[in-house]
Amino acid sequence: MPDRPHRGPRLAFRGWRARRPFWGGLLLTLAGGEILLTEKASLKVVLHIGMQGLAGYLLPGLMVLLGLLILFNPSQRLFYSITGVLLSLGTWLTSNLGGFFLGLLLGVIGSCLAFGWLPDQEPRVSRRARRKRARAAARALTPDRAEGAA
Amino acid sequence: MASSPDVPSAGNTPENPGSDTPPEAANAAGSTAGGERRGRVRARRAAVMAVPATLIAAGLAVLTAQGALGVQFAISGMPFTVTATELNGTGFEQFGALDNMAEGSPNAGDTGGQVLVVTSAIKNATLTKLCQSVDLGGINLLITAGSGAEKVSATDLTTDSTVLSGNAEFNNIEIGNDASTLTKAGVKGPIGVFSQQADTVRIANLRQTNYATTAGVFKLPGLKLRFSDSGC
Repeated sequence: MPDRPHRGPRLAFRGWRARRPFWGGLLLTLAGGEILLTEKASLKVVLHIGMQGLAGYLLPGLMVLLGLLILFNPSQRLFYSITGVLLSLGTWLTSNLGGFFLGLLLGVIGSCLAFGWLPDQEPRVSRRARRKRARAAARALTPDRAEGAA
Repeated sequence: MASSPDVPSAGNTPENPGSDTPPEAANAAGSTAGGERRGRVRARRAAVMAVPATLIAAGLAVLTAQGALGVQFAISGMPFTVTATELNGTGFEQFGALDNMAEGSPNAGDTGGQVLVVTSAIKNATLTKLCQSVDLGGINLLITAGSGAEKVSATDLTTDSTVLSGNAEFNNIEIGNDASTLTKAGVKGPIGVFSQQADTVRIANLRQTNYATTAGVFKLPGLKLRFSDSGC
């Protein structure tokens, strides 16, 4: 991940990514795609089987849709991610054991990331810097250095 | 519960539904803070969903392994093998069909993208020591179930196979029907194609190479899903 912002499209993409639960939405979309890939059964057979067979396509299809909605309408992410996690768990029953577990796992992780995402957070402080600051505060030595780390 | 104490209160609720987080506003907010203010995943908040989701997933796996929950399969695109020491079924149909591969499929070879398959449909089936393997290119995904006292049961099992072997036994078999007039398993084939159907079927040492599709609800007691070097 580039730490230093670049000019041009990469900077724009970085800014775009910072404003939405990017990895959550992406993982949920990929999970739905993976499950759909594992069940390329011809629709004719599925229609013979009936609605229960159709659900095998409906659930991963909705997962893809919710993943994209998380990416492009992040303000509603709570509803999307809760629905997404329920659908992901549901694919265990309807779609090849959740795309042989892989899609289920990706979908649950993606939904959790989207659920736990919050906008407008403080810049990340590395563990080392945090520990250093805590040590400095505990010793009550050179408070200006502690300030510098913040 | 969902909010951690170190979270700014403004971030605890989703933004106004109407606002589409315009880039100008976010950039302005970023510049006021001196550094860049990015969205971030709060671990504690994510855990609120992750913990119950994991529990539910584990519960589903356990219930499936006990045979209490049926799971549904619809696999295709690659050949896979199904074996069972014994299959008992009611409502059996079988007819020939032609499966078309996707346009430009690398598996087509000189076949013109068409595979002659035997479609078997069984309304209700119980299988002993089911083993299913899919070759994922070097490694096999292996699913076994029903090796204990409880058997695997399946409903609306439809398979398109190229190879089907075993010792079969049919009751009330009708051979030579037109595939479009089949009634025993609820699936109808194309008109003008040879077919057969039977009330019950029993196949010992079943081995199927399924080319294209199967779709059905399985109850898999004693489920085991693993990767293996060798198939069934």
